[in-house]
Amino acid sequence: MKEYILLMFSAALVNNVILGRFLGLCPTMGVTTRLDAAVGMGMATTFVMTVAAIAGWTINTLLLEPFGLGYLRTITFILIIASTVQFTEMVVKKISPSLFQLLGIYLPLITTNCAVLGIALLLVADKMSFISSVLFALGSAMGFSLVLVIFAGLRERLAVMDVPRLFAGPPIAFIVVSLLALAFMGFSGMGAS
Amino acid sequence: MIVGEPAYSATDYSAPAMIEGIALVVALEGNRVWLVPEQSSSCGSCASASACGSKGIGTTASRLDKRRFRIDNGANLAVGDRVVFGIRENVLLRASITAYAIPLVAMLLAGSLAQWKFGSDLATMAATVAGLVIGLWISRVEAGRLHTRGDLAPLFLRRARPGETCNS
Repeated sequence: MKEYILLMFSAALVNNVILGRFLGLCPTMGVTTRLDAAVGMGMATTFVMTVAAIAGWTINTLLLEPFGLGYLRTITFILIIASTVQFTEMVVKKISPSLFQLLGIYLPLITTNCAVLGIALLLVADKMSFISSVLFALGSAMGFSLVLVIFAGLRERLAVMDVPRLFAGPPIAFIVVSLLALAFMGFSGMGAS
Repeated sequence: MIVGEPAYSATDYSAPAMIEGIALVVALEGNRVWLVPEQSSSCGSCASASACGSKGIGTTASRLDKRRFRIDNGANLAVGDRVVFGIRENVLLRASITAYAIPLVAMLLAGSLAQWKFGSDLATMAATVAGLVIGLWISRVEAGRLHTRGDLAPLFLRRARPGETCNS
């Protein structure tokens, strides 16, 4: 039990997908201008990343490895992620058209989110068990959402700040996210004794 | 704003928040109007939109058309009018929890239970998929309840000013 908690904690904070592995930087800059967009994107990515990790692990273990098709892994995972996004979109639309109106706009952006592909490849490369893969993907996705929400909150405050014209907009956002990355580096000093 | 005054003091973060958007009236249907939201941020307005890889998934216009919604026509709106609509901020969070968190939690609970009980990857996988299906069913029930109560419906706020955009 303790190893699973540590795995999730490590994936979410110590090796944060955005601030530790520098994956998924496009949505980090693109959808964090508003907190509500960051929450919607974070939740959608959490769902897709976890489901894509499950599908990726299953296909890799039952199909690619036994038949020596490891060289097709990247292209297969891209296909899995695109299919997962389409599946999620269809399901949300079927469950409730009202929910689709509110949340549907975030889904296609996830297809090109390299963090989803990166996590799916990492858990296969580390030869994790099924439950470890699921928890690793979930922890990474929660870390991704956490950073999006924190950064969106900071950017909402920045929007009303008196920032020097030279730094206004993306420059100050990049400085803030780099300071956030420094703050998250503090987690790497934590021991698990 | 007074020069020298901290800018953050002007924002009241305890005020009830409303997410605003602009939509175009595209059709009339009895006492109701159909609206298509205007793209506010991200892909559509990105400088690289013409060369973006995600464009193949569907054009922005087609995606927005899929998101058309209906509201009561209390303000005598006509086709071509631009209106400002609002969604309560907590509605988006509730919708996200309903659509994504409920199936995820059900899936993880089922998977963890199977792992603890059987300790086999195949059993855990089967339980996880079963949990996902059950979670989606619960999510559907909850979404239906929210829809019936009208919690997910966008609200008409006012007509948009000429030239007004989501970012202005």
